[in-house]
Amino acid sequence: MFPNFRHSMAWLHTWFGLALGMVLMVVFFFGTLSVFDREIDRWAIPDTRYEPQPMPSFDKMLRPIFEDMQPDAAARAMTAPLVDGPLPAHFDTPRSWGAYTTHRDPVLLLFAGYEVPGAKDHETAIWANRTVDPRSGVALPTDRLKVGSEFFYPLHYSLTLDWKNVGYWIVGFSALMMLMALVTGVIMHRKIFRELFTFRPKKNTQRSMLDLHNLTGVAALPFHFFFAFTGLVIFAYIYFPVTHTQLTPLHDHHEMMEAKETGLPHDRAGVPAPLASVDAMVLEAQRRWAAKGMAGDVGYLNLTHVGDANGYVSVYRAGTDRVQLAGEGIHFKASTGELLREDPPPTVVARINEFLTGLHLQHFKHWLLRWFYVLGGLAGCACIATGLFFFVEKRKRQHAKAGTSGARVVDALAVTVVTGMLVATLCMLIANRLLPDTMPDGWAPRGLMEKYFFWGAWVVAGLHAWLRTAQVAEGRLAPAWREQCLAIAALAVAAPVLNWITTGDHLLRTIGSGYWPVAGADLFMLTGAVLAALAARRLQRKARSPVAVKNPALEAGHA
Amino acid sequence: MTASTLTPRHIASRTAVALLGGYAFTWGIVALGVAGLYAAGMEFHDAEHLSYIIGLLVFLTAFLVAFATRALGRTALVLVGGGALMSAVAWWLQSLLV
Amino acid sequence: MHDAVSLLLAVLACVIGMGWLALSMDVHWKQVRGNTPCAPATVSTLRLAGAAALLASLLLCLSVDSPSIATLVWFMALAGSTMAIAFTLTWRASTLKMLVFWTGQDAR
Repeated sequence: MFPNFRHSMAWLHTWFGLALGMVLMVVFFFGTLSVFDREIDRWAIPDTRYEPQPMPSFDKMLRPIFEDMQPDAAARAMTAPLVDGPLPAHFDTPRSWGAYTTHRDPVLLLFAGYEVPGAKDHETAIWANRTVDPRSGVALPTDRLKVGSEFFYPLHYSLTLDWKNVGYWIVGFSALMMLMALVTGVIMHRKIFRELFTFRPKKNTQRSMLDLHNLTGVAALPFHFFFAFTGLVIFAYIYFPVTHTQLTPLHDHHEMMEAKETGLPHDRAGVPAPLASVDAMVLEAQRRWAAKGMAGDVGYLNLTHVGDANGYVSVYRAGTDRVQLAGEGIHFKASTGELLREDPPPTVVARINEFLTGLHLQHFKHWLLRWFYVLGGLAGCACIATGLFFFVEKRKRQHAKAGTSGARVVDALAVTVVTGMLVATLCMLIANRLLPDTMPDGWAPRGLMEKYFFWGAWVVAGLHAWLRTAQVAEGRLAPAWREQCLAIAALAVAAPVLNWITTGDHLLRTIGSGYWPVAGADLFMLTGAVLAALAARRLQRKARSPVAVKNPALEAGHA
Repeated sequence: MTASTLTPRHIASRTAVALLGGYAFTWGIVALGVAGLYAAGMEFHDAEHLSYIIGLLVFLTAFLVAFATRALGRTALVLVGGGALMSAVAWWLQSLLV
Repeated sequence: MHDAVSLLLAVLACVIGMGWLALSMDVHWKQVRGNTPCAPATVSTLRLAGAAALLASLLLCLSVDSPSIATLVWFMALAGSTMAIAFTLTWRASTLKMLVFWTGQDAR
C-alpha cells in the first residue's frame, strides 16, 4: 500500500519512468533526427543531392515505370507462406499504384500493390516499390539505404523489431508511460510555477540535475504530451484492432455502403479497360483546387483497380501550408477521366484527427517550426537523461555504503542509452561513407552492413559502459561518461570530414551553394562535437574535485 | 516513503490491474464508441478516430487510478467488468446494424 | 522576407514576455537587480506586460501562417523562450537588466 496519493504517483514516476526511460531515450532521439530524415538521406546517398522536384508527368514518365515494377525477393519471401501453392513468376493484377512527393525529398517513391492468386486471405496483397529520380525516371541503385527515412525513422516508432509488431507494442507502451510520467511529474512538482525558470548548476549534482529535469520537462510540456499522445493515436489501430476483430462485420458493412455512396467501386469489375490521360486529370484537380481558393501541388497520386473498368484515379493536394496532411482528394474514372467525386470538406472530428496526426507527421513546409521541433525533441531527451542522472546521483552513495550495485547498473545502462546511442549513430554514418558502393561477393548488402555497424557499435559502447562504471559502486563518478563524450567528439568531427573526402561536399561548398540538407547535417554534427568536448572537460574537472557531502535536506520529499 | 508495505506481489498486482484492466476497459470504450457513434449516425472512420482519442485518455486515467486507489479489487472489477460490458453492448449494436 | 521578420519579432516578443514574467518573481528579480525588493506595483506591471508580450507574439504568429501552424509555432516559441530565460538567469542574469531599465538604480 502507498502511504498517500502523492507517494503513489511519485513511485510510478520513478520506477516506470526508469524502466521505460531507456526505451524513451531511443524513441525521442531518433524521433528528433526524423524531423530531418529526408535531409539525412541526402547526406547518406550523395547521388540524390539535388533539389526537390514537382510530381513529374504520369503519362510520360511514371506509367512505364509502374508497368515495369515487380515485387522483389524479400517481398516474395514474406508473402510465400500466406499462399496455397507456389507464387506466380509475374504479378499481373495491380490493385493500386501510388506515388507521393514531399517538398523536402528530391527522389520520388513509387509503390504498387498486387493481388496474390491463391492467397489464403483474399485481401492479401504483395507490394513492390521503386525510388526514382523525377528528372529522368532513372531508378536509384537498389542497395542504397535511406539512413534517415528508412532506418532512423522506423527505429523511432518500432525499434525496427517487426516480428509480430513487437517493436510497435514496446514503443506504444513506453509512449503511454511517457504520458504517465508527465502527469505524475506535474503532481509531484510542488513549485511548478515558482521554479519555472530555475536552474542552479552550481549546487550539487543531484539538485542541478533535478532543476534541469524539471526545466526541460515543464518548458516543453505541451510538446512532450502531444507527441506521446498523437503517436499513440496514429498507431491506435494496431493497439486496439477492434474494427478488424470484434467489429469486422460492421467495418465491412460500412465499406460497402461507402463504395455505393461515393461512387468509388469497392471491387474490380473483372472487365479490362484502358487508362485515360492521368496528367489531364491532375491538371483538372489543380484547376478545381484553385477555383476553391486552395491552389496547391499534388502531394499524393493513387490509382485503384488498375487496368479494370472499375478503376479510378485519386489526386490529393499536398499539405505544405497547414498541419493537416494531404487532402482535398478528387477522384476520376480511370478509363475516361470523367470526374467521379470531389471529397467534401472534412467533418469536425476528421479535422481534429487530421490536426493531431499532422502535427506529429510534419508534412508542412515551415523551417522555423521544424527546428523548434528539434529543440523540443532534444529537450525531451535532456529531460529523460537528467531523470536517469538524478536517479543514480540520489542513490549511489547509499548503495555504495550498503554494498549493493543498483545505482551502478542503472548508470551503465544510462551510459549505453545516452552516449552509447550517439556513438552508434555516428559510427553508422561513418560506415556509410567508408563502405564501398557495391559490396564484394559473399558479403551482406551495403545497407545491411550499415545497420550491422550501428548495432555493433552500440554493443561495444554498452560493454565499455559496463566496464567503466565500476566506480559508481563506490559512490563516485563513472569515467565511462567522459570517455564516451570524447569518442563522440572525435566521431562527430570524423563524419563531416569523411563527407568532404568522399564526396567533395565540404561546408564552404554546401553553405556557399545553399545546399542546406547536407550543410545542416554537417553543422549539426560539428556542433555536437563541440558540446561533447565541453562536456568531457567539465566531467574531468568534476572527477578531480572532492565528492560532495550528502545533504539530507535535499533528499527529503522525493520517492 | 515506507518501502516495507510495498511488496513485489503488491506491485505486480497493481501493475496487472493497471495494464490488463486498463486495456480491457479501453477496448470496451473503443468498441462501444465505434458501434454507438456509428449507430447514432457518425461517419465510421470519424467514430473510430474519436473513440481512439477518448480511449487513450481513458487508458491513461485508468492506469493512474489503479496505482492511486485504496480499493484495488473493486477497481479491477470495474475495469474488467466494465470493459466486458461495453464490448458486449457493442456486439449487440453490431448485430442490429449488420 | 516579411514573414521571416514577423516570425523573428514573434520569437523576440515571446522571450521578452517570459523575461518579464520571470522578473515578476522575487527570486529572479533579486538575481538581476540585487537585494532591492520589487515594489508590488512593479510586480503587477511586469506580469501584465509579460502576458501582453506573449499575446502579441501569438498575434504575430497568426499574421504569418494558417491558424493550425501558427498555434504550434507559438507553443514551441513559449517552450524555447522559457528555457532561454532560465539559462540567461543562470549564467548572464545582468543582461536582463535592460528589460526593467525604467526601475532605477540597484541597491547594493
